[in-house]
Parts: sequence; structure tokens; C-alpha cells
Amino acid sequence: MRIGWTSFWAFLAAIAVVSVATITSEGQAPPAGRGQAAAPQAAPARQAPAQPRPAAAAQGARTEDGKPNLNGIWQAINTANWDIEAHNAEAGPHNDIMGAWGSEPGGMGIVEGGTIPYKPEALKKKQDNFKNRMLVKVTNDPHRFDTGDPELQCFRPGVPRANYMPFPFQIFQNRDQILMVYEYKGSMRTVFMDKHQEAPVDSWMGWSNGRWEGDTLVIDVTGFNGHQWLDRAGNFFSDTAHVVERWTPKGRDHMMYEATIEDPAVYTRPWKISFPIYRRLEANAQLLEFNCVPFVEEMMYTPLGLYNPPNRSSR
Amino acid sequence: MRNRMIRIASTLTAAAVMALSMTVLVAQAPAGKAKPQASNAQAPSGPKALPKTTTDTEAAIKAAAEAFKKEEALKTYTVPKTPWGDPDLRGVWNTATYTRLQRPQELGNKAFYTEEEAIAEYKKAAESDAEVDPRTVHYDWKEYAMDAWQGGTRPNLRTSLIVDPENGRLPPLVPEAQQRRAAAAAAARELDPMLGVKTFGNLYTRCVLGLGALPLVRGGMPGADSAATAAGVTAEAFFFQSPGYFTIVMQSNNDVRIIPTDNRPHVAPQVREWLGDSTGHWEGNTLVVETTNFNSKEPATNFLGSTDQLKIVERFTRIGPNTMRYQYTVSDPKTWTRPWSVDTTMPRVDPSLIYEFACHEQNYGLINVVTGTQIRFREGVRDLRGNGAPE
Repeated sequence: MRIGWTSFWAFLAAIAVVSVATITSEGQAPPAGRGQAAAPQAAPARQAPAQPRPAAAAQGARTEDGKPNLNGIWQAINTANWDIEAHNAEAGPHNDIMGAWGSEPGGMGIVEGGTIPYKPEALKKKQDNFKNRMLVKVTNDPHRFDTGDPELQCFRPGVPRANYMPFPFQIFQNRDQILMVYEYKGSMRTVFMDKHQEAPVDSWMGWSNGRWEGDTLVIDVTGFNGHQWLDRAGNFFSDTAHVVERWTPKGRDHMMYEATIEDPAVYTRPWKISFPIYRRLEANAQLLEFNCVPFVEEMMYTPLGLYNPPNRSSR
Repeated sequence: MRNRMIRIASTLTAAAVMALSMTVLVAQAPAGKAKPQASNAQAPSGPKALPKTTTDTEAAIKAAAEAFKKEEALKTYTVPKTPWGDPDLRGVWNTATYTRLQRPQELGNKAFYTEEEAIAEYKKAAESDAEVDPRTVHYDWKEYAMDAWQGGTRPNLRTSLIVDPENGRLPPLVPEAQQRRAAAAAAARELDPMLGVKTFGNLYTRCVLGLGALPLVRGGMPGADSAATAAGVTAEAFFFQSPGYFTIVMQSNNDVRIIPTDNRPHVAPQVREWLGDSTGHWEGNTLVVETTNFNSKEPATNFLGSTDQLKIVERFTRIGPNTMRYQYTVSDPKTWTRPWSVDTTMPRVDPSLIYEFACHEQNYGLINVVTGTQIRFREGVRDLRGNGAPE
């Protein structure tokens, strides 16, 4: 029940950001000089309240090797994390106490063509997923991954979901590698640009190899462990999924994102999602910690009797 | 003996796969669709065919000593620059060490070993690290490359990580810190904190934080200040650089520290984070990083039992192709009577890769530890570990 509103706040904040961003997108501070002279170690202003910060270095449109410069903090503004297909606004799962805070916004969806081409048995599993989206199984065996939205339990979101969660993420780019860090759970992925590397093990975030096709960053993601959900509605893929992402800058402050999802075990054909991603333009934009492990411990361990210490009298 | 149970229990699920992949999978041809979820069962016991080098203590000690001498001999090293002009510190660096945080009392003010003494000390520590106590582990954990000597640690001329105060020891605690420590120990004697996740102070076992993201090097075995600071396992830090940022990704728990290098002010004082708020700047070839705004949430405490007033200033200087000098100064007026400082090095390790460490996703170690403690409690066994203070 905490889940809904945490994300919802972030979502509201994101909306606020966009409205500000559209007004001030040309009012950017000039890039800071790099390698500036050694600054005094204990500058008096360190504890001062947030003040306009110099924009991160190198916010130019191109990197030193002529590629599009994607360095920065970004965020998608949509409701795909609730459901990547078109959906109505709905009361949330605990609207008896959560009211409008826990309610879910409607959305147009991000699936090209509107519908995910599930195989019949996979569609059944998607529907079961939705019914059981808040069923949390904490066990010592792999059944714990059978049901329940991984996001509810503070598990890694996988790709592409990480890119449209209602949290910002930061791209760090150099010639050889691109590092993407997501505020949600501090999840990260390394995109290998220099040489293609096969996934050595399966994982939640997958294994990413990238290349430039003109000004589009194309990332090939494989090596999923099959526990990922695409949203809170139960859409999913399996460990045979192959995701190809295309990140195309459309200006300094936004890009188009597209992902093709192929998984013969789940879908009848490859299908595609697409949406824009916007730069966070606040002068003091910075990823903060969203370490959600402590936020889910009570929910996960209370049913096992492991959250609260036993009473002395129960000995 | 060494209490690695907790560490291993919570690490094995994810880390065995990672550690194995570091030493085995990567060394082989691409493994393709390896299926790590099969390892949701307990870690396998018994002998397993592994490359000889991963279990050969002698060879590892020799290699460590040679690497140490080679890098020590470098008098003039010009640090390479990134394409955008910053000193290039990129790569994976090993944070494990056998050097103790505090100097053994009997060494007095002897700050340095001779080269021979340093190598002998390293040999002693590595061989002791390679021992397996069947009472605490039921498998040969050398197989999982959990010993520091398998990760590329090197001998160190210093007799302690701490260089200030001069005696190489932590400064005395202020009275309120003494009281805090005494109160925690008393509470733990009353009720083991591991009886419930709510009171469980060990952030590592709970997968809230990994081992040693800040500071990165904390002092090694034997004689480490706690099991969790002695990590030889998953002791890799990946340094990623991009214009205006220095980002550290830890192998342990994949903790991420994003450090802007424009010397910006810290976030507002009411913003508190587990890893604090880091801000950095370059002083010549040295990256200086100051971190404040730490959390202090009961029952968990910060580094060595410090408070939310903790401040850590780190200095990173690449002094050889494979050696990073790492200095840090710790202060917390609510814990120590004065600031104290460490000066050490980190060796570079290859391959320059970090693997996913999905700790919380399958943290059945925590389930087992708390369940076991509750069973002991019902059986009337107290103070199983011989101490009760949360780490």
C-alpha cells in the first residue's frame, strides 16, 4: 500500500517538471569549465540550500568523437508503468485508505498497433499475473518469482521497463561504454560500445551491447532471467526475450525511444513500443537514492513472522 | 573462528554466480544461456574442476608479490588522460586488503614493514584466509574465489591503513559514542537484534547496502573490525568516467555512487542518504570527493558506528598503470575525538567488468538467519555469536 503513492508522487513531480521544462528549456546556464583550478576544500557555501548549479560539463549536442551527447538526467512522462497498453483511470488496490493517492492514471499506451501479440497461453498468464499482481511469495525456492509484480517487492525492473518508470535516470557516456543508472532502486546497466560481449549469465537488467547507427543509439539486450514484468498490469516476457532499443535525439532536450521485443515463447511476432524521453532541466537536477529495500521489508517478512522480533513470552 | 556465515549466507545466492562468473565463466568461451536460477538450491559442495590458478595459494602469493614490487618500482608515471582531459582512473579496482585498519599494538609506531616483512605478512594472511573451518562452512569456499588472495590483493608496506593518528589506531570515542555503544551492547544482550528484520542492524545481510562502497577500503583479515568489513568477496569497484562525472559501481550489491566533479554544494541538509551525498573536484591529478548527508536510522548505524554527522573526504590518485592510491579522512564529532586518516592503494583487476548483484531479489539468507535466530531463541539459547552488537 505504500507502493502506489511513492511512485505517484514521483509521477506528479515529473508532470510538474515537464511543465516547467517547456517554459525554460532555452534558459540553460552555460556549461561549467572542466578541470577548474583546485577549489578550496571547505567552501563556505557547502551547506547552503540548493542554489542554481552550473550545468554538467559537456551538455553540447555532440561528444568529442562526434556522437550525439546523451549525457544527462532523463525521464519519460507517461503512464506505461501502470499498463503499457491503453487503459482507464482506476481506483488503486487499497482505495479504502489510499483514496486518490493510490489511484491509477489512465493512458494511451505505448504499444504500436495497440495490442501485444500474445500467444493464447501467454495471454492467460498475463491475465493471471494481473489478478495476482500483489501476491507476494517470500520463499527459499524459485516459486517466489511466479507471481506478484517485481516492482512491488523492490526487485530490479528490467529493460525496457526501467526507461518508463516514473523516476529519472542518468546517462553517463564515454566512447567505450555507456552507463545508465536508474533512480528506482539505483538499478544500473552498462552498455558495451567498444566490443560486443555475450551475456555471461542471465540477469534482471539483461546484458546490453550498443552501437551507433547514424545518430541513433541501438542497444541489443539479451540474457534476461525471465522474471521481468513490463508493467503493473502483468505484461511480461520470458528468458528467451530479445530487446532491441533505439534511442534517437530529436533536439538537445528530448529523444525518441523505441524498443522491439521479440520472444517466440510468448508472442506470435516481434512488436514495438515507442515514446519520447525528456531531459530534466532543473539547474539542481540530481538522482537521489530510492533504496526501496527498507520500504518493502515489513510487507515481505511480516507474513513469515520474521519482521517483528517475537515477544519474550513466546519463548 | 572467522564468522563468515552471515556474509556467505546472504551473498551466495547472488554472489556465487557472480564470483564464479568472474573466475570461471569469463575465462571460458562465451557461456551463452547459462541458467543461474538453477543455483537457487544451496551452493554445491565437493570438488569441482577449476583452473589450477584459482586454488593455488602459493602461485597467487608469488604473483601478488611480483605485482607489488613491479608497481612499487615505478618512480615516474604519467597518468593518461580521458579524451575530454581529466586524469583517467577508469577500470575495476580491488578494494580488498589484508592490511589491518588499526596497527597491532605491539608494533608501536612502526609504520612500515620492510619489503620482506610485508610479503611474509601477506603470505601469512593469505594462507590463513585459505583455511576452511568445517564448523562454519560446509563447502570449500576457495572454490568460489571468496578469498582476498584470489581477487588480486597485494602486499602493503604499511602496518596499518590508518596513518593519522601516528600510532595507527582509531582515536578515542567521545563520551556520547561510548554511551551509544554500551547501550547497543546492553540491548543486544537482552534481545538478539537478529530476531526480527525490524531490529536487524546489519544492512548487508538485509541487502540494503553492499560491502564497502564508502569508504572503499576498510581493513582486512585477520583482525578485521567486523566480519563485514573484511570482505575479500566481491571486492571490486568499477570506476566510470564521463565529462563532469565520476561514477563508482560496486560489485557488492551494485551500489552506485554518482559523484559530480564540478565541486557543487551538497544537497539540502534534510536530504539524508545511505551512501551520503558526494561532491568532487580535481586537484591536479587527484580527485577529491567529500561526502556528507548520511542517514542515521536505528538500528542501523553508519561506518564503524558513526552518526549522521559523518563526513568522509576521499582522494583518488592513479600512481601506476595498475595502482590507485586511495586516501580518506573520516570525521564525526559525535563519535571520535578527532578526525583520522587512511592511506592505501587499490590494485587494478581485469577483466573490467561488473556483474549484476541481485541481492534483495533472492535474499533467502535473511530468511534463514532470522528463522534460525528465532528457533534458538525459543530453545533458550542466547548470545549465540558471543557478541550482540549490531555491525
